[in-house]
Amino acid sequence: MIIDMPDFLQQAQLDRETLEVWIEEEWLIPARTTRELAFSEMDLARAKLIRDLTKDLGVNHEGVGLILNLVDQVHGLRKTLADVLCSMHARAAPDDADSSRDENRAAP
Amino acid sequence: MKDPYEVLGVARTAAPEEIRKAYHRLAKKLHPDLNPGDAKSEARFKEASGAYALLSDAEKRRQFDSGEIDASGTEKPHERYYRDFAAEADAGHPYENRSGYADFAETNDFLAELLRRQAHEARHARGRDLYFHVFIEFLDAVNGATKRLTLPDGGSLEVAILPGVLEGQTVRLRGKGAPSRGEGEAGDALVEISINPHRFFTRQGDDIHLDLPVTLREAVLGGQVKVPTPTGSVMLTVPKGSNNGAVLRLKGKGVVRPGGRGDEFVRLKVMLPSESNPELEAFLSHWAPGPEYDPRRELQT
Repeated sequence: MIIDMPDFLQQAQLDRETLEVWIEEEWLIPARTTRELAFSEMDLARAKLIRDLTKDLGVNHEGVGLILNLVDQVHGLRKTLADVLCSMHARAAPDDADSSRDENRAAP
Repeated sequence: MKDPYEVLGVARTAAPEEIRKAYHRLAKKLHPDLNPGDAKSEARFKEASGAYALLSDAEKRRQFDSGEIDASGTEKPHERYYRDFAAEADAGHPYENRSGYADFAETNDFLAELLRRQAHEARHARGRDLYFHVFIEFLDAVNGATKRLTLPDGGSLEVAILPGVLEGQTVRLRGKGAPSRGEGEAGDALVEISINPHRFFTRQGDDIHLDLPVTLREAVLGGQVKVPTPTGSVMLTVPKGSNNGAVLRLKGKGVVRPGGRGDEFVRLKVMLPSESNPELEAFLSHWAPGPEYDPRRELQT
């Protein structure tokens, strides 16, 4: 789903100037179109996170960039870990199949 | 629903400032986006936010303390947090950052091999698709055209509009989207088409409709009139005695479609001279059309 600028500002409860700063800082990276910016639901969720950080959690401007960078790295690591686990299962599975076949052959 | 004072861990007599601090402390610990792997943090965060929403509002707090309202109904509706999107997003999304393990990839075991492969995949991830919106002229949509889009960064994009394109249709330009952040293919550009209305043509499916003003003389006596079509003017024979509102069809003068073109429908609009015409008035005042001529016969009750 693509969200246009007015909808985005309303749903994220933001004013335009603040949004421009966030984009300038690359805290948000919306898609561009010829006429305006196009936001995704992911951008919206990220904007709500930034809002929570600054409004509810008292994080200052410098802190937000730092936290977003670390959050992004955590997600990167979690994805890597998921891939590693997935790969390990894939490796383990054929071995299991082989050994069970061997057992079947040995049984009679 | 738990007692909000208990949730925030403050006394019932706590000052607003204490309540705020208690909530901040909890929120920092429990915010779902700061605990991406902890499913329980969301429920606890919501509980804390709900409690804070109640107790930070002096009027609601008073009502709660006096037993006028209970703690339920303060819970926020389900919200999707950033972590949900980050977990589902495909490789190559704009916020992806997998730089945290490059130092592991030097060794020779299976894990290092996997990490290397992953780094390779990330490097070759496709660029993002970009979305554009372009307004084209009515006749360009009917006949096809090539449009040049100017992009915000100063670049430009050539869009081939196929004849007969529809309002809202999207044209995909392969490889014209954002470049890959590594060595992968670029994404696609998706161009949504909007069609500006025309001064006198309208379109219904593959057919073109046009109101054609004709003179009283042309309507009564018939004759050849010049009619615009999307591909240029043609001569149309108006039959003798054509009424106002009569529709004539120009076959094959509509919008391009597979195997041919739609039609153009011309609706005649009889126009009297814009200034009063004594000759016409004199003629009509002496003209008796006969008893059969009663255009309002159908309306009689």
